[in-house]
Amino acid sequence: MKPAFKLDAHPRRPRPLLSEPPADYFDKLPTRIMARLPQAEAREAAAAWGWLSFLSPALRTGLASVAVLGGFAASFYMSGTAPLVPATAATASLDAVPSTELVGYLLTSGARVENSDLAVLTAANPNIAKGFIHASEAELTDALDAQPSDDSTYL
Amino acid sequence: MEDHEILTKFQDPASRNLAFNQLVRKYQSKVYWHVRKMVVDHDDADDLTQDVFIKVWKYLENFRQDAALFTWIYRIATNECLNFLSSKRRKFLLPLTDVGAELAAKIEADPAIAGDEIELKLQQAILRLPDKQRLVFNLRYYDEMPYEQMAEVTGTSVGALKASYHHAVKKVEDYVTRNTAD
Repeated sequence: MKPAFKLDAHPRRPRPLLSEPPADYFDKLPTRIMARLPQAEAREAAAAWGWLSFLSPALRTGLASVAVLGGFAASFYMSGTAPLVPATAATASLDAVPSTELVGYLLTSGARVENSDLAVLTAANPNIAKGFIHASEAELTDALDAQPSDDSTYL
Repeated sequence: MEDHEILTKFQDPASRNLAFNQLVRKYQSKVYWHVRKMVVDHDDADDLTQDVFIKVWKYLENFRQDAALFTWIYRIATNECLNFLSSKRRKFLLPLTDVGAELAAKIEADPAIAGDEIELKLQQAILRLPDKQRLVFNLRYYDEMPYEQMAEVTGTSVGALKASYHHAVKKVEDYVTRNTAD
């Protein structure tokens, strides 16, 4: 019968029989490790956020959520007030162009002007079409009623 | 240089690099061999040893000294090894036994062990143990670390460590007995 192997009876070594690392490995290793250490600036930046490590994970998660929601709220608040100014400016600059020039441009530039465009324009500014549309309000209303429903939705 | 001296110098930005260099020189061999016993391959052990010391550098400022410095470093090294082996298993979708077999094959190819059949079987048996049990075996059998210190390194109770080591020894003895020629 084969004798049972007993670990206590086996000569104990300080470590398994493995090949040694290269001869100068431990001379060079400290230099290689030191070269991989994070730079001082990065360390200072990390230290600036180091206080976070003293908070519990739940508190850190809560703080992150508040920061994200605060960011959304701030961007929403800041984007809500500004854009009216340029629209007003554009309208003001268009108002400075005489109506006859505008109509002349539209009639000669090849831009396609639909009946509905004229109706919308006339409804917004009844005097603008006086020079070339000789129609009563009733006639205009009839013309608009005759338009397909899609166009009339502009009104 | 004593540990407390290293730690004091490390707190001073002017002598921090020097202190850390001393720390690496003092513990590099122990960390390397602790890691090497777990991963077998020199290149893997080299990468992991460097990673361990990078982590030591990162967290040493917050080291509270409620354990010995080397116990704390050992704990970081141990976690790095276990994470490495488990990520290797996940990465290649390998079952537990395949990683053990891969490590055993590396041992078999190592010229240092050639010709010593009992030693080869002993290493194969150790590498077939589950990672955590192998770690316990290495700490106790090779490093002869007291159970109390092992408990600090592994975060496991002394009783559980004794039981784990006892079972590991039984498994190793059974494997070597079954797999060696008469």
